Amino acid sequence: MVYEIAGLRVRIENKYGFTTKFCREYLSDDQESPVDIIATASEEEFAAERSLSDEFSDGYIENICLYRSICMQMPAFGRMLVHCSVLEYDGNAYAFLGRSGTGKSTHTKLWLKYLSPTRVINGDKPILEYKDGGFIAYGTPWMGKERWGTRAQAPLKGLCFLEQAKVNSIRKLSIAEASTRLFTQILIPSEEKNAIATLELTDKIVTQVPAYLLQCDISEEAAKKSFEAMTGFNFDEKKNITN
Amino acid sequence: MKIKSGFVLRVVGGENVVVPVGEMSKTFHGMINLNETGAFLWRFFSEEHTVEEAIDALCSEYEADREQVEADVNRFVDVLTRNGFCE
Repeated sequence: MVYEIAGLRVRIENKYGFTTKFCREYLSDDQESPVDIIATASEEEFAAERSLSDEFSDGYIENICLYRSICMQMPAFGRMLVHCSVLEYDGNAYAFLGRSGTGKSTHTKLWLKYLSPTRVINGDKPILEYKDGGFIAYGTPWMGKERWGTRAQAPLKGLCFLEQAKVNSIRKLSIAEASTRLFTQILIPSEEKNAIATLELTDKIVTQVPAYLLQCDISEEAAKKSFEAMTGFNFDEKKNITN
Repeated sequence: MKIKSGFVLRVVGGENVVVPVGEMSKTFHGMINLNETGAFLWRFFSEEHTVEEAIDALCSEYEADREQVEADVNRFVDVLTRNGFCE
């Protein structure tokens, strides 16, 4: 079946029903026109993924392989996967990044709690597209364990790397610092054309999207720091205005 | 002296970054960060050259002290060789 993912036409060649159901909101009305990307899960990739885990169904394992196949082909189209949680507030997208367990989900919940209307575009695996000198963040069917996300897109206005700390503080990262940190949250395809495109896109992200380091706990003050730095709004004025 | 094919070098965020591609990505996992001299030498040794030629090229590029350049180039070549990056 053909799906529309991150503005591209993607034909997904799945054997198991899991992915058909998983991607149904992204199904294209046009099943006939040419596609940009064909996603397949080879037996080799399936076996490699299976060897990492016994507890998941074949359909789930295939599903992981299919998204990897899609993401490895995206860079040639000016798009790439970045492991992060992307939220939309006031029409713009803001990304939270960090190693697993540093509090992306917790920080996402803080924005949802205090800053309505915030919505999650994708809580784990959004695709970013370079377009007209900036980046657009897209929701995709792949949204991590919590399955937070929606079929939406918004211009990306900030990256915020998270680290746990006892005292809340935020500072702007230099381009080199942002680049080093961003490299830990991306996949570099092995195919040369897509590998080069990934490096070029990564360079564009860090040179064109402001990046911050938020050292934070799980309090309201943490959300205030990231919100004010990235949006330029006053947190206390914007807090819960519709609640 | 020549660096194996299967690497790409790009400037990302102002830093020189080398990543493996194709077959090379199956045996070498990770990323190499190079300073300016390292990037110069990496590009230079992407074509077949002798160590002596690299020293000459670097000296004329940076007008540096030849003894220092020799030491730098030898150290760089040693790292390349130890990591199996050379043909």
